[in-house]
Amino acid sequence: MLALGTLTHVKQMSHSPFEVTIALVVPIVQATLAVYLFRAGQEQHRLIEAAVGAGLMGVWSSVLFGSGGAIQNQRWQGTLEMIMLAPRRPVLVILPITVATGLTGTYSLLATLAWGRILYGIRLEFAHPFAFVVAAVVCIVALGMFGLLLASTFVLMRNANALANTLEYPIWLVSGMLVPITVLPAWTGPIAAVLPTTWGARALREATTGGPVWPAVGVCLGISVLCLVFGSISLTYVERRARAAATLALA
Amino acid sequence: MKPGPTTPPPPLTGLKTLRLMTVGGVIAYRALFNWTRPSIFIGTLLVGPLFQLLFFAYLGRQLQVADDRFYIVGNAVLTATLACVFGGTLAVGNERRYGTLGHVLLSPRSRTVVFLGRALPYAGNGLFIAVVTLGVSSALLGLRIPAAAVPGLLLSMAVGSLACAFFGLTLGALGLRFRDVWVISNVAVALLLLLTGVNVPSGSLPGWMVTVGQFLPITHAAEAARRLAGGSGLSAAAPELGREALVGVGYAILAALLLKIFETESRRTASLDTL
Repeated sequence: MLALGTLTHVKQMSHSPFEVTIALVVPIVQATLAVYLFRAGQEQHRLIEAAVGAGLMGVWSSVLFGSGGAIQNQRWQGTLEMIMLAPRRPVLVILPITVATGLTGTYSLLATLAWGRILYGIRLEFAHPFAFVVAAVVCIVALGMFGLLLASTFVLMRNANALANTLEYPIWLVSGMLVPITVLPAWTGPIAAVLPTTWGARALREATTGGPVWPAVGVCLGISVLCLVFGSISLTYVERRARAAATLALA
Repeated sequence: MKPGPTTPPPPLTGLKTLRLMTVGGVIAYRALFNWTRPSIFIGTLLVGPLFQLLFFAYLGRQLQVADDRFYIVGNAVLTATLACVFGGTLAVGNERRYGTLGHVLLSPRSRTVVFLGRALPYAGNGLFIAVVTLGVSSALLGLRIPAAAVPGLLLSMAVGSLACAFFGLTLGALGLRFRDVWVISNVAVALLLLLTGVNVPSGSLPGWMVTVGQFLPITHAAEAARRLAGGSGLSAAAPELGREALVGVGYAILAALLLKIFETESRRTASLDTL
């Protein structure tokens, strides 16, 4: 059911010209920016890191706006009542949507890597190719679960869109997707440590450059399971409250 | 069906034109924002741009491409794009989305003036965002700006915001022809990050990107603001400010032309409210 649901939502999102264009074009622009910045900083040997980082930024944007607005979007489409009427736990209905946002986000990662290879001649030589693939899959699933937590908490807020708009750059920054965490103020460390994006980015970077991949993958998975648990609890609470107050279809 | 005979409206005097531009623009601006809470404004238009600036400032520090002043001042001017590009785009796009475009186009007044007036509050909004972002980021990252530079910086940010709002209006005009203005505006905002030379020094960009950037808003305003923040006088920044103003005027004319052409075309093909 999870697999079929995810596939359905991936197909639906992939038919949206807006989603696909934004997932492809904006990360490519950001990757180009990163490439020129790294070149200007005499860091040509890190161009592949720039391409991977920019791609991951695109994945996060996809999850943030897709998952953050997952329930709201169903509400606007008039399908929220129908999916909530399904004789399954709410988490099993919403999780495929949020994982699908992570999967469609991979368009960004693939686009930035292809762009870097074709236009800038970046050699896609990963220190641990197999670990890179595993880390990418774990990262996407983890972001999907993080997205579930976002979806279930954002629905409680009237101004969730504003929060989503606010969270894009802070997570890019604090998670070390392009800027190393070491150059940030020390107080950002604990925040970074609890974010699955930080560990997902680290796992991908280590797989690219040749560091220890699996500890980061493990922590990323652990945090994402916590997100799943908290997201599930929150979603159940939200659903019961909405049923009791008859506000499911209301903003 | 031909319209019935109507009494032509009295000609607009300069004062009435100004009133139509400013009051009409403010009313349209309030229609977009007055039903939301301040948290949306603060989160989207103040906190988000601040983190955008911090992201590039820390990236610049790490790569040692340029100093803090380059990133803080340049990105502060750039933050106006969020309000100006999206605002300018939605000034036209939302009329269509909410089904009120026909009413606006039925107005006996000049639609060119009506729509150009829409850009003004967004320019003011962009200026406010740029000022707040510059102030907060300077305090956070320890950038000292000479007091004498403040009036010039305000002027740079104002000219940049206005040029950017007219750029947004030009994109909004495309919304009368193309279905999805969101794609256009999102891609445009991303391209401004790259092509205005705010984050990558122009010497490190390919020539064609630098050339394209010369015709985009913010490029010259950011350069003028950097010179002013670096202690150069207004005379040193004046040429760049003049170029930014020219870019703004160019986009205002282009927006007016496109609006006129697409309005005529939409009437001819009866596709005004087709989404």
